[in-house]
Amino acid sequence: MLPFRYAIRNLFRDPMRLLQTLLGSLLVTLLVMGAGAFNQGMTRMLSASGDPLNVILLGAGSEESLQRSEIPDKAAGIAASTIPGIQERAGRSAVSPELHFMGYLQAPDAERVQILLRGVKAEALMVYPELSLLEGRFPRAGELMPGRMAWKSLGIPQEDLKPGMLLEFEGQSFRVSGIFAAPGTVMESEIWADLNDLRTLTQRDSLSGVTLRMQSPDHREVKLFSTRRRNLELSVVPEQEYYAGLAHFYAPIRGMTWVTALLIGVGALAGGLNTLYAAFASRIAELATLQTLGYSRAAILLSLIQEALMACLLGSLLALTLALQFLDGLTVSFSMGSFQLDMSPGVVLAGLLTGLFLGVLGTLPPALRCLVPPLPAALRSAG
Amino acid sequence: MNASPLIHCHHLTKHYRKGKQQVTPLQALDLKVPRGEFLALMGPSGSGKTTLLNLIAGIDSPSEGELIIDGQDISQLSRGKLSRWRAQHVGYIFQLYHLIPVLSAYENVELPLLLDSFSGRERRERVELALRLVGLEDRMHHKPKELSGGQEQRVAIARALVADPPLLVADEPTGDLDRDAAASVLQLLQELSREHGKTIVMVTHDPKAAEAADRLLHLEKGKLLESEALPA
Repeated sequence: MLPFRYAIRNLFRDPMRLLQTLLGSLLVTLLVMGAGAFNQGMTRMLSASGDPLNVILLGAGSEESLQRSEIPDKAAGIAASTIPGIQERAGRSAVSPELHFMGYLQAPDAERVQILLRGVKAEALMVYPELSLLEGRFPRAGELMPGRMAWKSLGIPQEDLKPGMLLEFEGQSFRVSGIFAAPGTVMESEIWADLNDLRTLTQRDSLSGVTLRMQSPDHREVKLFSTRRRNLELSVVPEQEYYAGLAHFYAPIRGMTWVTALLIGVGALAGGLNTLYAAFASRIAELATLQTLGYSRAAILLSLIQEALMACLLGSLLALTLALQFLDGLTVSFSMGSFQLDMSPGVVLAGLLTGLFLGVLGTLPPALRCLVPPLPAALRSAG
Repeated sequence: MNASPLIHCHHLTKHYRKGKQQVTPLQALDLKVPRGEFLALMGPSGSGKTTLLNLIAGIDSPSEGELIIDGQDISQLSRGKLSRWRAQHVGYIFQLYHLIPVLSAYENVELPLLLDSFSGRERRERVELALRLVGLEDRMHHKPKELSGGQEQRVAIARALVADPPLLVADEPTGDLDRDAAASVLQLLQELSREHGKTIVMVTHDPKAAEAADRLLHLEKGKLLESEALPA
């Protein structure tokens, strides 16, 4: 085997080529980790948004979107009194009538933005146990309660989102009564309002849906209810299925992030092959000399792989540092709200494997091409 | 000088294709080189002298004939086996030295020893001895670019002999050196042959360089023309 110092010193032989290889690897690794963190974050948020005990009553034919759904106002009361197996506390059923509405809001010194508003009653707290108040209290008439990630959608600094601030909606000012958290769910990007307020302002006399919290994940009674009460024109969708459907809807977007990363990766790999070929081609006579001394082609190939691998892994480690510093936890907005990029151990591993893959696969074609020529011809090479 | 030949070429022929044409740089050549002999090969360009040298060094394989070196027919060895054979039997001295630029003189000379199972101490002793033999013990930590052409060629000679191979092959070893450096390198090769018993085969264009050898062979169109014993 060739001494390791040979690979190390060759690494610094041409600083520009080292820089090219390192930056190429950094870019590809960063892209792979970015795409991975994006997918991980979005998937985690959508999958965390469904609870197996919760089931949603929506308007028949609008199973894919609560915002498009309309059901009669009375459906909530009828469901609470008819369906057995709904959780109860202090004599109140865990039934949350809701109105979902994409409305335009404006924070002080910020642009007017479209954001998801959810009109709720206090029963919502019984249905969503993961929800907790970080500051302030539940909204009453004339008040709003944003999720802790809503600052991103509102286009304001995170620290500006606090109880007491005013938000303008439909020409009226609403005071923020509190800030809530519902870790990892889409709700954190929403702004909750008093149900009656929202219905008045949007001039709707119907609901978007009713969410029920059952005692067990068995939803047969709810389905039976919707079948018996055809006049209400309800459709029953378990909350987990609803968000799984949304996740499926966004699958092409996640796919596109991978395709983009892959295409740029292939481009960078082609550039890397070219750079490494140039680096090795200038050393054909030297590589032939090593063979003349008795080193096998496998031993030389291994040394060349070590050399390229060090550059690529260095690029990947730099990419990892940058990703952990700047990507991890970065809030990204999309139509459903906002989620945080998630640099999970799997994403980190994918990034490091990318560096490994680039180092090995990027070395093989140019190295083999430089090791194949017959020794007499290679020794005559100008180098 | 031991009487049994170290090198025995029998009907040695080399063909290769150049486009659609078959070229035969070496044709049915017979040659014996006794152990410890310093042999010079001369001839015009294309006469086949470098081809013969490459075959003897095991960096090329003959198309026909036998090539027995130190009792072993190397004409049938695979590329991998030839690699291992070269490491043990041949030291190659190039016209352009071919030192590894990122390694010091010491590290360059050490390279052939890393193919064997020498201990670190043994390697150090051998490298220092080889560099002392070529008069460069005070330059061992210099990189090739910090040495003169003559010094680089001496490092290359130290690298060729450090593993103590019985055969040294030299392709125009003085072709890139000034007169003084060339004389010094030739004297060193003579010493290696006469005092250390190394068999040396040297290709040269320079008649003055050839005079350093024990015997001079002329090649033309792939055939031996004449053999000339030179005065000691």
